[in-house]
Amino acid sequence: MTGHIFGLGIGLAALGVGIGLGMIGNGAMQGMSRQPEAIGKIQVAMLIALAFVELVCLLTVFIVPGSLKI
Amino acid sequence: MSNAKQSSGPPAIVGIVVGAALMFGGFWFSKNVKLEFIKTLEAQGIPLDPGKTISIIGVLLILFPVIKFFFIAPLAEAIQNRTTELERTFGEAENLRAEMTQMKQDYERRLVQTEADAREQIQSQIKEAQSLRQQMMAEASAKAEELKASAAREIETQKQQAIAELRHHVVELALQATEKLVEANVDDERNRKLVADFLETVEAPR
Amino acid sequence: MGDWITQSSQLIASVEEPHGADSHGGDHGDGHAWVSWEGLLVYVAIVVGTLFVLMAQAKKGLNNRFFTNKLTQLFEQVYLFIENMCVGTIGAHGRRYVPMIMTMWMLVFSGNLLALFFPTSPTADLSFNLGLALVSVAYVQYEGIRANGLFGHLGHFAGPKLGGFLALLISPIIFVIEVVSELMKNVSLSLRLFGNIDGGHRAAEAMNTLGAGIYVPFGAFLLPIKLLTVVVQAMIFCLLTAVYLSLVTHHDDDHGHGHEAEAGHAEVAPAH
Repeated sequence: MTGHIFGLGIGLAALGVGIGLGMIGNGAMQGMSRQPEAIGKIQVAMLIALAFVELVCLLTVFIVPGSLKI
Repeated sequence: MSNAKQSSGPPAIVGIVVGAALMFGGFWFSKNVKLEFIKTLEAQGIPLDPGKTISIIGVLLILFPVIKFFFIAPLAEAIQNRTTELERTFGEAENLRAEMTQMKQDYERRLVQTEADAREQIQSQIKEAQSLRQQMMAEASAKAEELKASAAREIETQKQQAIAELRHHVVELALQATEKLVEANVDDERNRKLVADFLETVEAPR
Repeated sequence: MGDWITQSSQLIASVEEPHGADSHGGDHGDGHAWVSWEGLLVYVAIVVGTLFVLMAQAKKGLNNRFFTNKLTQLFEQVYLFIENMCVGTIGAHGRRYVPMIMTMWMLVFSGNLLALFFPTSPTADLSFNLGLALVSVAYVQYEGIRANGLFGHLGHFAGPKLGGFLALLISPIIFVIEVVSELMKNVSLSLRLFGNIDGGHRAAEAMNTLGAGIYVPFGAFLLPIKLLTVVVQAMIFCLLTAVYLSLVTHHDDDHGHGHEAEAGHAEVAPAH
């Protein structure tokens, strides 16, 4: 049972993170298409934002099993 | 900047000594110390070994200065040198090009100048030749005129002379004829004058 | 020589045993093994040894005119990339931090590359990553203290300068939050790298299990995305270090602006 809930928790986290990553990609691509000359800067900022959002999913992977134990 | 860093920061040897100490400390820690919260973390699927972390910090403390002095500093210096070298070379080339452009302009200017000079000289020569020709022609025609005039004068003189001679002969003949005719000597000063006067009147309408 | 190879291969084989097998079989209990101290040392030795061999080769090609050595050109490109990143993120004085960040990049990148070929690698080990992150954040603090002085640097933590009574109330709270966030930088840096590299391994394993019945290694098809992760994670690690550096090392006269700059991480710090 806990295994299922564990999977569900990670799935939920992945859902949210997926939406977040998509929104970042969306914004970055719109910005790039509006200002092709600023692609370098936008890419750097986008990568940082992606890294922060990605971390949320990774944290979930490590925290969900532990919290279910208690 | 980097010199300031060298002087103010701790020397690399301290980092290496501390790093080595941390490495062995980490080894000891990893083998002998079991912390309670590490087990909790491991239960959560987070595999953390502080001994390894301590050792890695030691390794990195050694590694950073070593790599910096072994490779990155020479690399940066080489890149810097190359950049300055390139800049110098480009500057030199630029200078040479400017000089060359200057020389080319000079040369072109001089070429134009020379051409103009040559043309002017040719023009002046032509003009001189023409004036000379004019002068020679004028001289020649003047000479011809003179020759013509002198010839005319001579002809005139000869004519006059011939006329005078002729008149003289005519007077002689007339007097001789008259003498034979009248058998008397009429050859005196008065008759001669008479005939000459007559000839004058004959000559006059001609 | 052969003796050394057998020894080291035994070492690698021996370190694959589960580290905490007695305490916990685990929810993640797919028999995933964590390397011991010696095993990590072997992998780090592989990484560092490879780096030093390459660097020694590349060092031969250094000259002041034109680098004809391919390896030297490669390292030159890395150097220019890191320098570009530092100058773009930190500002004109960012060139000073290039050696540190480039070393970090090379370590993380070669560690990540190793993870493509070996069952584990330095950067797939949380302890290694935590050590790297601790050194990185400690370096950031050191540079901050060098740039602003000890009290100037601590004053950074206290947030914007507030007047009188309000300062007593709010500044301690901000100070605590900032200190905690400094600590969390370690965790986030190390967990991000660990999660990405080790997660790649675990995903490959899981997909291999999926295809085990029909003898198709589905996990191998993850290689392109793992390759992308290798490059991006190395870059992000260094970029975040550069961003942290840029937050603490702008000039002393404007403490107050430091935290406004936090909103726009990648903004180029104005060069004074």
